[in-house]
Amino acid sequence: MGVGSVKEVGPVQAEQMVLNIGPQHPSTHGVLRLKVKTDGEIVSEVIPYIGYLHRCFEKHAESITYEQVIPFTDRCDYIASMNNNFGYVVAMEELMDIKVPERVEYIRIIMAELNRIASHLLALGVYGLDVGAFTPFLHMFRDRERILDIFELTCGARLLYNYMWVGGVSHDLPRNFESICIDFLDYFEPNIPEFNELLTKNKIFIERTADVGVMPAEVAISYGVSGPNLRGSGVKWDVRRDEPYSIYNKFDFEIPVGTGEYGTLGDCWDRFWVRMLEMQESCKIIRQALKTIPEGGDVHAMVPKKIRPPKGSIYRRTESPRGDLGYYIISDGSEIPFRMKMRSPALTALSVLDEISAGWMISDVIAILGSLDIVLGEIDR
Amino acid sequence: MRAYFTTIWESVSTLITGMAITWRHMVNIRKGSVTLQYPEERWPRPERDIGFDQGEYNVIRSRLHVDMDDCIGCLKCERVCPVDCIKIETHRVDKGEDIPDVGHTGITSNGTKKALLVTRFDIDMTECCYCNLCTYPCPEECIYMTGGPNSEKHQIDYEFSQYDRNDMVYRFAKETSEEQVAIATGENGEKK
Ligand code: SF4
Ligand code: SF4
Repeated sequence: MGVGSVKEVGPVQAEQMVLNIGPQHPSTHGVLRLKVKTDGEIVSEVIPYIGYLHRCFEKHAESITYEQVIPFTDRCDYIASMNNNFGYVVAMEELMDIKVPERVEYIRIIMAELNRIASHLLALGVYGLDVGAFTPFLHMFRDRERILDIFELTCGARLLYNYMWVGGVSHDLPRNFESICIDFLDYFEPNIPEFNELLTKNKIFIERTADVGVMPAEVAISYGVSGPNLRGSGVKWDVRRDEPYSIYNKFDFEIPVGTGEYGTLGDCWDRFWVRMLEMQESCKIIRQALKTIPEGGDVHAMVPKKIRPPKGSIYRRTESPRGDLGYYIISDGSEIPFRMKMRSPALTALSVLDEISAGWMISDVIAILGSLDIVLGEIDR
Repeated sequence: MRAYFTTIWESVSTLITGMAITWRHMVNIRKGSVTLQYPEERWPRPERDIGFDQGEYNVIRSRLHVDMDDCIGCLKCERVCPVDCIKIETHRVDKGEDIPDVGHTGITSNGTKKALLVTRFDIDMTECCYCNLCTYPCPEECIYMTGGPNSEKHQIDYEFSQYDRNDMVYRFAKETSEEQVAIATGENGEKK
C-alpha cells in the first residue's frame, strides 16, 4: 500500500471506537448501557445492554398471590403505574369473568388517562432536557405535580398506587373530585399551546429533531413497536380504539398520528408531536367521563373474597402511555399464578434503536433514544 | 440571499417567543408558582374532611402503626404482605384474660376476646412498599398508616429516618422474656 498516495487510500475509514454510554448516564433514562460503535462521530452500531434493573417480576409473581402481584406491576413502569394496574386487572377480570360496576370502569379510565398525561408530560419534559431545553422540563413537571396531587387525594400515594384491584378500585373518588379534576383540566389545557410555543415550534428544537431518527412504518411494524412511537410513523393503531377494553368504546376521541410536518414521516419530532396531541385527547376523554360518571354504588362490590381464577390462560393487551402492554397469565386453579408474562412496549421500542440510529451522530442517538420514551423499569421488569 | 435572511429572522423570532413566555412567568411569579422552602414549609396532606365521606378508608401512605392492645394476632396482615416485612409470633393464652405481666389485654376495644398473646410484632419499614394491602383485612382495624383519616389514633409520620438500618424495624409488641411468656401461657407454654 502506497502510504502517502491519496489516490490509493480511497474513502477514509477511521479506526472504529467503542464508546459506552451509561449505565449511569442522565440521558439513558434509567440504568441502560449503550455500547456505541463510532467512526469519528458517526455511529455505526448501537447495542443496548439491559438487565441492570431486573427484579424478577415474572418469576416472583409465581410465588405470590394474585392480589399481591398488583403492587409489583406498579413498579414495572413506575411512570405510569395506573396503566400497569389497569392492564393486569383487565386481564384478570376477563380470566375470572367478573363484570365490574360501571362507576369503577369510569374511575379507572379517568385515572388511566390522568396518568397518561402525567407520563407524557414526563416524557416530553425530559426529552426537552435531552436536546438541551431546560425550561419546558420545569413547566411540565409543575403540571405533572398537580396530577400527582390528585392521585394522592384519591388513594394516598403519589407514584406507586396499588389503586386498581381485581374487581374494583381501592378507594372511591373523594367528594369534590369532579371539581378538582375540572379545575386541573381548565388550568392544564391552555398550557399545551404554551409548551408548543416554548418547545415544539422552537426553531432550535425542530432543527435538532426533525428528519432525525426516521422510523418508517414498515420498520416500526416489523419490530413490533407500538403506542405513540408507532403512531408517530403514521400508523393509526391504538388498542383503546381497535380492541376496546373496559368502556373505551363509549368515548369519542381522535387518534393522533405523525404527519411529517417539519421533516420526514416518523422522525423524532413526529413522535414528540403525537404525545403532545395525545395529552389533549386524554383531556377530552376525562371531561367526557366526568360528565357521564354514574353516582353511588360500592366500588368494592365485585371484589372477590379470594382470587382463585379457573384453570386456563389469558392474554390481554391494553394501551399504556408507552404502547401495547400485554399480560399473559396462566392459572392452574390455585391462588398463585402458574406463569405470568408481561409484554412490555418499551422493550420493543428499545430494540428498534440500533436500526434507526445507525448513521447518525452520537448526540443524535441521545435524541433518538429520548424520543422513544423508554422506561427501564418496564424493560427489565 | 433570501434564505439567509429567513434563517436569521427565524432564529431571532424563536428566541423572542421563548423569552416572552419566560418573561411572562417572571412577572407572574407572585401567583404562587415558586419553590416551597421544604423543611420550613410543607405541602398540605390530604385530610379526611377534604377527602372522603367514608371514614374507614385508609387514604394515606405513611409509617405503619399497630395498636397492640387491639391486635388479636390473627396473622392476616402478615399473610397478605407481598414483601413479607411483617413478622408476628404468638402464643396461646387463656381467652379474654388480662395478663398485666406482659402487657396483654384480654379484650379489644371492639369487644373481641383475645386468645393469643403476641410476643413479636415487627414491621421492617425499609422493606415495606407502602402498598396498603395489610390495612384492609385486619378485623380489628388496629394496623393502619398514621395520619390522614387516622390522625385521631396516631399523628402523621412520613418523614422518619434513622442512622441505623436496624432502627427502621419497628417493634410494636411489648418486650417479654421467655420466663414471662412461659408463666403467661401456663407451665408447658406450647408455641402455636
Ligand atoms: S404496606 Fe404493604 S408492604 Fe408495607 S407492611 Fe403493609 S402489606 Fe407489607
Ligand atoms: S390483621 Fe390486625 S389483628 Fe390480625 S395480626 Fe394483623 S394487626 Fe393483628
